[in-house]
Amino acid sequence: MNEKIVHMENISKSFPGVKALDNVSFELCAGEVMALLGENGAGKSTLMKILSGVYTRDQGTVTISGETVGDLTPKSAEHHGVAIIHQELNMCPHLSVAENMFLGKESVLPGGILNNHSMKDEARKVLRELQIDMDVDALVGDLPVSKQQMVEIAKALSSHARILIMDEPTSALTNKEIDDLFIIINRLKSQGHGIVYISHRLEELKHIVDRVTVMRDGRFITKGSFDSFTMDQIISHMVGREITNQFPRLDTEAGKEIFEVRDLNAGRMVRDVSFTLREGEIVGIAGLMGAGRTETTRAIFGIDHRESGQFFLDGKEIFISSPGSAISQGIVLAPEDRKKDGLCTKLSIRENIALPNLDTLCNPLGVVNRGKERELVDRTRKLFSVKMSDQEAPAASLSGGNQQKIVVGKWLARNSRVVMFDEPTRGIDVAAKVEIYNLMNDLKQKGIAVLFVSSEMPEIMGISDRVIVMCDGRITGEFAAGDMSQEKIMEAATHFEDKGINS
Amino acid sequence: MLKQEKQWNLWKKMMSTRGMGQVITVTVGLILLCIVFGILNPIFFSSKNISNLLRQIAPILLIGIGQSYVLITGNIDLSIGSVIGMSTMISATLMTRGVSPWTAVVITLFCCLLVGLGNGLLVSLCKLPPFIATLGTMTIARGIAQIANNNYNTDSIGEAAQGFRDFFYYGRTFNVFNTIWIGLVLWMVFNFILNRTRTGRHIYAVGSNLEASKLSGVNTVSVITKAYLVSAFCSTVVGLIFCATSGMGAMDAGNSYELYAVAASVIGGVSTLGGQGLLLGTVIGASIWGVLQNGLQFAGAPVAIRNIIIGIIVVVSVLLDIIVRSGSFKRMKEEKKGAPATTLVKSVD
Repeated sequence: MNEKIVHMENISKSFPGVKALDNVSFELCAGEVMALLGENGAGKSTLMKILSGVYTRDQGTVTISGETVGDLTPKSAEHHGVAIIHQELNMCPHLSVAENMFLGKESVLPGGILNNHSMKDEARKVLRELQIDMDVDALVGDLPVSKQQMVEIAKALSSHARILIMDEPTSALTNKEIDDLFIIINRLKSQGHGIVYISHRLEELKHIVDRVTVMRDGRFITKGSFDSFTMDQIISHMVGREITNQFPRLDTEAGKEIFEVRDLNAGRMVRDVSFTLREGEIVGIAGLMGAGRTETTRAIFGIDHRESGQFFLDGKEIFISSPGSAISQGIVLAPEDRKKDGLCTKLSIRENIALPNLDTLCNPLGVVNRGKERELVDRTRKLFSVKMSDQEAPAASLSGGNQQKIVVGKWLARNSRVVMFDEPTRGIDVAAKVEIYNLMNDLKQKGIAVLFVSSEMPEIMGISDRVIVMCDGRITGEFAAGDMSQEKIMEAATHFEDKGINS
Repeated sequence: MLKQEKQWNLWKKMMSTRGMGQVITVTVGLILLCIVFGILNPIFFSSKNISNLLRQIAPILLIGIGQSYVLITGNIDLSIGSVIGMSTMISATLMTRGVSPWTAVVITLFCCLLVGLGNGLLVSLCKLPPFIATLGTMTIARGIAQIANNNYNTDSIGEAAQGFRDFFYYGRTFNVFNTIWIGLVLWMVFNFILNRTRTGRHIYAVGSNLEASKLSGVNTVSVITKAYLVSAFCSTVVGLIFCATSGMGAMDAGNSYELYAVAASVIGGVSTLGGQGLLLGTVIGASIWGVLQNGLQFAGAPVAIRNIIIGIIVVVSVLLDIIVRSGSFKRMKEEKKGAPATTLVKSVD
């Protein structure tokens, strides 16, 4: 066994009202990838924030490279070679690649004058070692997410980090980009770096992970070499009970056509899109990142400008000029980015659920009927078993999975005909995912047409009755449940038009 | 590599520099304005008028520099006008009471920088919203300006202060008014600091993403405080210029100048959301301001009309920028603004 570079023993940490970590131990060796697994709220991020100096522990010892360290700060953790690649990328969008890499540790001449030349050279060197092709003068805000992540990794390495913590690094990447990332991870591993890998996408672990540590409810559950567990064992350790069916598909007879989109064009990302949704079926939209899936849902919902396109609801043409008019005609969208588009995080849970339904809750003068409102919130909560101590608590206080339930739930109070979900399960844990699937099944049974965009192949194949594949703004394939395979979907998803360049 | 391609790359690089696009747009606007006013009234281009015009622009440029520093960190300074008043009143009061002008300048600087320090610490350390914090210090500083001479404007600062008046306003060096030199030299110094030093880099970083900067080991408290100190310093100098100009202290000096400073910065492409802006733009913004005031006055437009036109220019220039920019970092920016300060709650994840 290699040298142990991190050893955390009996770590405890409390926040007001919550015991986030209870006597947790964790270790990491040089040259290995350790997966840190657990549901949302299991304490993984808290543990890693202690290691990277963002939080201080209440109890326990931390040993890094054989040296017992006291209270860490981000700076001293960096000094000990710990670097964290955050789930929500933490870069300054207005600064260049080199500027971001050296932020906080600029090389300066006397008088605080920046030595841009040496920093750029050093940045190029680090990127070259990682075999990443990137212009160090490019503004980070102009780069795609995958490249920004590479910058974060390069930034960590430029400070000679030996311990890299990656928190959900693949949640925003395409399959191709994930492959690139894994190549880099494997390269770092062979160079003797120790990597802590946090991910909800269990299926990707087998490509890189050596060992796993599982946490639940702030406690250490088990650890061992990855090969010694089956996937089902890992999942049951994570959730503390058996999940019998990860993808609870419900077979129903597809009924009549409910909604039709004809010749939808909206910018470069949505071109000549036509499809129909039928009663009692769930239709998945698969495709790579940037294939135009999100843009399609936004265009239908009336957010983005359309060049052309007709919509038919129950055979009658309808006109959607704005999200408001879409909602009033029974077409709703649960957007991709919970914090940005889906929730008003500073408002209470009650206010969030009531927001799109205020028209049904108000009297003609616009005064909210409190009784109706409470009833609506209670109904939504029961429907989803949302854990909330208090419906007046801000939405930000909920865990990711519960936040997602609120985003989805707020639409279900009305008589919608078409419900569109954009990446409904991103960043939430297995158990919460199953609840979302069950909910989609409920909608399907009620005769509502469900359209959902997902980047996770197993989920899209497991839940959809029909899959539409998009590539480069166009629909490039359509498969029924019995007929789909990962290969077919991938082939359609990479069916670029022949343009000479691979966009 | 082809020469053409090289040039194109250079151009692309220049355009991708923070806010360079808008600087170019407004420079074209400035040139057009000058041409129009020059045609309307040839005296506009007389050396006497240009000299006067530049002397009018200098104070706006100075407060623009201060406000730009603060805006780039993602904050705002509403106390600028009141600090000008404070500076004028304190320096004038001291001089009328027989304190030597240069001692008075030092004391004034010290007092006014305290306001900047207060602003900086309230915003960065106590985490007050900058709008509220500086609204408070704005009112306090105006109060101090009024109390300085027991609620009266001061008498003339007298003969003894002639050197002071020449240094800040009436004198010339190499046949150019000293006020213009002060503006130019301070602009060069602060431009260098912003573009070439670690402090400058951190000012952009903090405004672009506060959390990321903190996690990268940037001392955000010190960076934000420095920006407010620069703003207070520039305002103090403008106050001294005003004192030298009129030869007395007026309690309402600098009224609503904080907004003129925002206008100069914003016209010049400084983003009110932080992270973006160039002091080069602030020069152009301040010049557009000055040229409009001066040119419209020549054209016989009353003050009311001038105000309306300048207001429209502010709105339109920012609107143009929003339209021109494709909103490439809209997403990141919004995420940053949208995510509330709930690190503690989120941590339970």
